[in-house]
Amino acid sequence: MSTAIDSLVRLRERFAKDGPGWLVAKRDEALAAFLEAGLPTRRLEAWKSTNLAPLAALEFARIAPTGVATIDAKLAASLPAGVRVRSLAEVLRTEPDRLAGRLGRLADPKKSALVALQTACLEDGVVVELDAGVCLAEPIRIRFHSSPDVYDRPSAAFPRLLVVAGEGSEATIFEDFDSAGAARRAAPGFTNHVAELLLASGARIELVQVQAEPAPRVHFTSVHAEVERGAHFASHVVTLGSGLLRSELDVRLLAAGAETVMNGFFLGQDAAHVDHFTTVDHAAAHCTSAQEYRGVLADRSKGVFRGRVIVRPGAQKTDARQSNPNLLLSDEAAIDTRPQLEIYADDVRASHGSTIGQLDADALFFLRARGIGESEARVLLTRAFAQTIVDAIRDPELRGEIGARVERALAGLESVSADRSGAGGAAPAPEKGGRR
Amino acid sequence: MSKTPLIQIRNLHANAGETPILRGLTLELFPGEVHAIMGPNGSGKSTLSNVLVGRPGYEVTGGEVLFRGKNLLEMDAETRAREGIFLAFQYPVEIPGVANNYFLRTAVNAIRSHRGQPRLDAIDFLTLLREKMKLVEMPEEMMARAINEGFSGGEKKRNEILQMLLLDPSFCILDETDSGLDIDALRIVSNGVNQMRSPDRAMLVITHYQRLLDYIVPDRVHVLSKGRIARSGGKELALELEEKGYGWIEDEAGGAS
Repeated sequence: MSTAIDSLVRLRERFAKDGPGWLVAKRDEALAAFLEAGLPTRRLEAWKSTNLAPLAALEFARIAPTGVATIDAKLAASLPAGVRVRSLAEVLRTEPDRLAGRLGRLADPKKSALVALQTACLEDGVVVELDAGVCLAEPIRIRFHSSPDVYDRPSAAFPRLLVVAGEGSEATIFEDFDSAGAARRAAPGFTNHVAELLLASGARIELVQVQAEPAPRVHFTSVHAEVERGAHFASHVVTLGSGLLRSELDVRLLAAGAETVMNGFFLGQDAAHVDHFTTVDHAAAHCTSAQEYRGVLADRSKGVFRGRVIVRPGAQKTDARQSNPNLLLSDEAAIDTRPQLEIYADDVRASHGSTIGQLDADALFFLRARGIGESEARVLLTRAFAQTIVDAIRDPELRGEIGARVERALAGLESVSADRSGAGGAAPAPEKGGRR
Repeated sequence: MSKTPLIQIRNLHANAGETPILRGLTLELFPGEVHAIMGPNGSGKSTLSNVLVGRPGYEVTGGEVLFRGKNLLEMDAETRAREGIFLAFQYPVEIPGVANNYFLRTAVNAIRSHRGQPRLDAIDFLTLLREKMKLVEMPEEMMARAINEGFSGGEKKRNEILQMLLLDPSFCILDETDSGLDIDALRIVSNGVNQMRSPDRAMLVITHYQRLLDYIVPDRVHVLSKGRIARSGGKELALELEEKGYGWIEDEAGGAS
């Protein structure tokens, strides 16, 4: 067993027996599953491109209570009737059985060792409940910030999110993983976040996530959503951190008319390792998924994109689109992109494409021919590349805010504006496929 | 009219990629003049415009170009634009994710900085933009959209002319700006161009058809054939070409190459 596992198993004892019996049992089962599997290694197909060795070597000094999650106070005070945004600990204390059968319904410890670890160490988080027909205009903002003291010695955090969206309800939820001024004295650490979203018929939920934790912190997020008839789930994942990150998204379309939009923008800088793994499961006919992940890789960073699309037998009239364009800004940066289509129905529209390239030479020349200097033109085009993802965020306020953060992150890159010889002429190497 | 030429192209030879296209082209424009360049496909019309604005992929193999007495061929593309050279592209590029108004302000300010003028803030720029947009009959909502994204052929060309109006160049090259335009768009584009005619400015209008020259009346017409000027004349030369085609000039020029 690794140092990390030892220390976490010891630390979780502080709260392992807290809470209702069903939860204690869930934690124990998850721990057993985790101990059996151990931390994922590159021998596993799903972890081939990502090495968790830096995590395994950590000796954790504490598990940070997830009280670090803050919910926008202004919003909390003015929530309309039928919307409840509470801490998980509070719900477990006041209504011990309310979440039984919901918490952990989608995130299966037997399928993922890190989900198992999260569940074994589950203590707190945020629960959002929307009654049928309730529409929330303002986004629900949740900040998970690792406070500076957390950074002194290796700490782990296991925040959880559960969203239960009633029929026809609507809301935008913003999860912000930030470093709250701790960047200067960042110490190794681990954030392991699991989110589950249950969308009843006709619900429309938008989940916006920003991950900006600095190296050497290791970040793992695993989002699971089930989408019922006519419901719409939009996920926007924006990754700007500099450490080791793995972000998983697993969407199940359960009944006709269910739709999902899965968008991502990731920026790799310094020696960051940014791994996105998505799965969309078309379990019923007449469902739609549109997926676009865009990556910008600078410096010595490495990006990984794996997109699984499963179309079950009988899921006719499926419309599944996936695209993963990437920009490489440095010769030392790399991207490993692999779509994975598993189609078991015959009347299906499915397409996927990934590209790896540099900035468009014609666009770059056009801007220069209008007097814009080459380095400024490069920054402009790189920002534009990200902008199409940011623009898809429905909430205008969040769109502006996140756009500004992306812009700042890109402006800080030296290699964006650097003149790379050959960049003018090199065309992206397309790798496209599709079937009907 | 001033006595020094704005631009002097002397014995210019250039390749597009590996292929020699321009073979000794000589041309001078004085401030205030509008010249038209006509010629069949492959005669070097687009190569000439691309070489003048410094597009990568074109190589000058001989000759020189002086712009206000300075060696133009030594300047990079952005410097040429800042010095006052403007090409209205034949195929304007679409750039998703860059808003038209943001791009235009960035370009205007890059050029103003180069000329030692103060940068325009958002309000002053908007005033200028609105004034110029009226001239090319562009609706305001097009400004918030990405550069040329989803624009029709005519809208793209109007956007090129709008850029020309805003950037205030002293030498304008219009590369087949009339291609793909219907009669209304042609009128709007030509109006925009005619607004720009001034004693300080010269224009080179590259076109395949005489039609555009009914709207933008040139001082001189040159026929390009096999990479050099095969014949020059007044505006009536364009009418002659319309009637007789290019064959007779190519035959005349044929022996020289």
